[in-house]
Amino acid sequence: MNWKLFGPASVLAISLTAVVAHAETIGPQGEAATPSASVTVPDGKVAMLQGGGYKAALLWHDQSDFVNAVTAGASDEFARLGIEVVATTSAGFDAAKQRSDVETAMAKEPDIILSLPLDPVTSAAAFAEARDAGVKLVFLSNLPSDYQHPRDYAAIVTDDLFQMGKQAADALAAAMGNTGTVGWVFHDANYYVTNQRDNAFKATIENNYPDISIVAEQGISDPARAEEIANAMLLKNPDLGGIYVTWAGPAEGVLAALRAAGNTTTRIVTLDLSEPIALDMVRGGNVAAIVADEAYELGRAMAAVGARALVGEDSPPFVVAPAITVSAGTVAEGWMQSLHREAPASLLEAAN
Amino acid sequence: MIMNTDPGSSAVLSLRNIHKRFGGVVAIRDFSMDLGAGEIVALVGDNGAGKSTLVKVISGVFPPSSGSMAMDGNAVSFANSSAARRRGIEVVYQDLALANQQPVYMNLYLGRELRNPRTGLLDRRRMITESEQLVRDLDVNLPNVRARIRDMSGGQRQGVAIARATHFARKLILLDEPTAALGVAETAKVESIIDSLRARGLSILMISHSLDQVFRLADRITVLRRGQQVATRDANGTDKNEIVSMITGLH
Amino acid sequence: MNSAKVWLAEREAEKWVLYLGFLAIFAFFALTLHDDGFLSRRNLVNIVLQTAPATIMAVGLVFVLSAGEIDLSFGSIVAVSALLAAVVMREAPAVYGIAAGIGTGVAIGAINGAFVAYLRLPSFLVTLATMGLFAGIARSLTDLQSVPVLNGFFTGFFGSGSLAGIPSLILWTIVAVLVGHVILKETRFGAHVLATGDNAQAAAVAGIRVARLRLSVLAISGGCAGLAGLLYAGRLQAAKYTLGESDLMTVIAAVIVGGTALAGGRGSIIGACAGSLLMGMLNNGLILMGLSVSEQMIVRGLIILAAVAVSMREISR
Repeated sequence: MNWKLFGPASVLAISLTAVVAHAETIGPQGEAATPSASVTVPDGKVAMLQGGGYKAALLWHDQSDFVNAVTAGASDEFARLGIEVVATTSAGFDAAKQRSDVETAMAKEPDIILSLPLDPVTSAAAFAEARDAGVKLVFLSNLPSDYQHPRDYAAIVTDDLFQMGKQAADALAAAMGNTGTVGWVFHDANYYVTNQRDNAFKATIENNYPDISIVAEQGISDPARAEEIANAMLLKNPDLGGIYVTWAGPAEGVLAALRAAGNTTTRIVTLDLSEPIALDMVRGGNVAAIVADEAYELGRAMAAVGARALVGEDSPPFVVAPAITVSAGTVAEGWMQSLHREAPASLLEAAN
Repeated sequence: MIMNTDPGSSAVLSLRNIHKRFGGVVAIRDFSMDLGAGEIVALVGDNGAGKSTLVKVISGVFPPSSGSMAMDGNAVSFANSSAARRRGIEVVYQDLALANQQPVYMNLYLGRELRNPRTGLLDRRRMITESEQLVRDLDVNLPNVRARIRDMSGGQRQGVAIARATHFARKLILLDEPTAALGVAETAKVESIIDSLRARGLSILMISHSLDQVFRLADRITVLRRGQQVATRDANGTDKNEIVSMITGLH
Repeated sequence: MNSAKVWLAEREAEKWVLYLGFLAIFAFFALTLHDDGFLSRRNLVNIVLQTAPATIMAVGLVFVLSAGEIDLSFGSIVAVSALLAAVVMREAPAVYGIAAGIGTGVAIGAINGAFVAYLRLPSFLVTLATMGLFAGIARSLTDLQSVPVLNGFFTGFFGSGSLAGIPSLILWTIVAVLVGHVILKETRFGAHVLATGDNAQAAAVAGIRVARLRLSVLAISGGCAGLAGLLYAGRLQAAKYTLGESDLMTVIAAVIVGGTALAGGRGSIIGACAGSLLMGMLNNGLILMGLSVSEQMIVRGLIILAAVAVSMREISR
């Protein structure tokens, strides 16, 4: 399950699986989303935090580009506030390991824990000890069962999933001149993150673009089979104007199928940054746009929520980090904005 | 003299008209023999003559296709090697059948470990004591029965295998090439151990390729050629030339 | 062959290297992390609690490896057992859940064993196949849903409870290690396991029922995995299909570092327990050192490599 997918994507969120095409991202308990930009530590409190000798632990579910960017965002914000990061862990999607990681980190007596609870049921016991010790808990995407805001946790922070799907639809429509046929390659699994994004794309095309029709729908569970699936789709619909692919891993397979067929007209849009996909886009290939999340900003917001809780400031229960559309001309900025690092050299060279 | 006695009546083991076929192939044809207490009989013949097959028939690994076996005058037939072992027949295999990482005493009691009757747990102390006794009685040159087999020489290993057979055999020991892998000094040592078994009243059937060894140890020699029992001779009443010509079928 | 060497061999001197390494790493963490809570009673207890399920899986695996077989499927058995126990306990008292968990483990292990013993298939291939098979069953049992365990007796007995101040997970670990050690080293069955792993042909001609024994060791491994599943379910107060999934490599490493031969004929339960604690201590100490996740993985990998190299060298000497 180590796809270059979102962290949260591989996590089952039972309470969130009733996937309806909402017009915006909503929280696990129906909370309205608050943009992350509005969650900051008031200037007046910064000095108070800096002298407090506070400590934080980052207990992630896995390792990925996404997690690295969130970690960077959180670490920078903590550093600014004089809060020391005393432990960083990865549970490798193992609920038992997550429980152990919480216990181990507690030996360092952190004041704040940032974590993605692997699933609501098993994490309820895993975080109970930390919660009862008064640690400020900031959760990424998921919520342990029966935890109450703000008594038990400071906030949930996640991506603006609906915006990601919607922006993908907008970008593909623009590349197609708002007309034509589209293939929809969605993630065929019960995953909150991908389901939300895929359905937001579909709903946007259907509701906002009357001259674009989705003529082919194909689920995918194994990214390695993307190329076959794309071949079959193109065989039946040779004049597809565009293809939406649920994330970058399988998009690489779809791109391979288009190249093998000598197809230079069908446009691709996908989610999450990937060097090979972006390279095709920069070189004027099939890829029209990539939609990414602001993972670094997400990490900053998590740290800010935790810090606010320490100084007695409640935060809204459900905070979302914005989505960005990266096109051929904005690769350098997009990489910086999303992952807070330089775009790969190959992209910068190809762009010049 | 042996021909005159009533066949099999006093023999520890007597074989009558043993045949063994594998599908259409006849491995042993009409083999008969009596083995008395304290007697060493050597089984000789070329590769493929059927010697090892005969050992496996006697030790219960293969049932004979036809023919009969008797021990002390009573007809026997073995369903498996454990049944033969229960009747007092032990085998020393060519490939030793020792567990290399286990100590000597555990190998001596392999499959028959002694237990403390009260706890049901292994009685290591008694196994060690009795192993030391056995090794001393047989004059096997082992410094310590708690050492592991893998740390021993070939001669010491063969000594362990023979000691095990000796300890549990009440009637008969079958030796399959007991010194094939050994050097000169070690061979002499193993031969002296085999020789000492005679005094314990055990019967021994031994396969060997070394005619010198056969003449040093055996009371009688029986020759197999392509499954056929060619002849049985008293060791004193024959010589190497005669045996070689019987083995090869050349005159 | 001098008597000193025999004396060392009998006491399995190679394991001392592990114990010395264990103490060295402990001392290192104790010195460098004394301000970071490593030596606190709670942290040390946590290490043992966190390794309890893996230690119990290791006990089962020692039997399998000692008999010259391997079990790759125990991690999947953990999940199946834990889920079945949790599902049963939705309706029924804890004792049924416990019976379901352990019984399932033993039964599944026996299925592995039947393929190995009576169809004469290599255990590596059988359990490689059933690892995926059982993982699939675990996923489909509750359609990927986690199952909460609300039975207070159960979560105390296997998770958060304690007896005379000793946490139940530690008691289970002690019981499993002691029982496993006595069976392996002090019973005829244990002697037959080692002999079979050492030289199966020799064991067979010595009258040991090799096929039945192979079935038994895989059933033991399954039963231990079932118990480990119950401990996980008690600790998390829930069961999930991912339980045990990531323990395979850790447990194999713990067992090998502990002086059990991958090729059979030699096994040590106490060593496996020490190996498992070593793994837990490494996880804990490297996190407390404040290393990044990648750095933790690199350092842990290097230490395991060194430990395996030393213990294998000592054994083959």
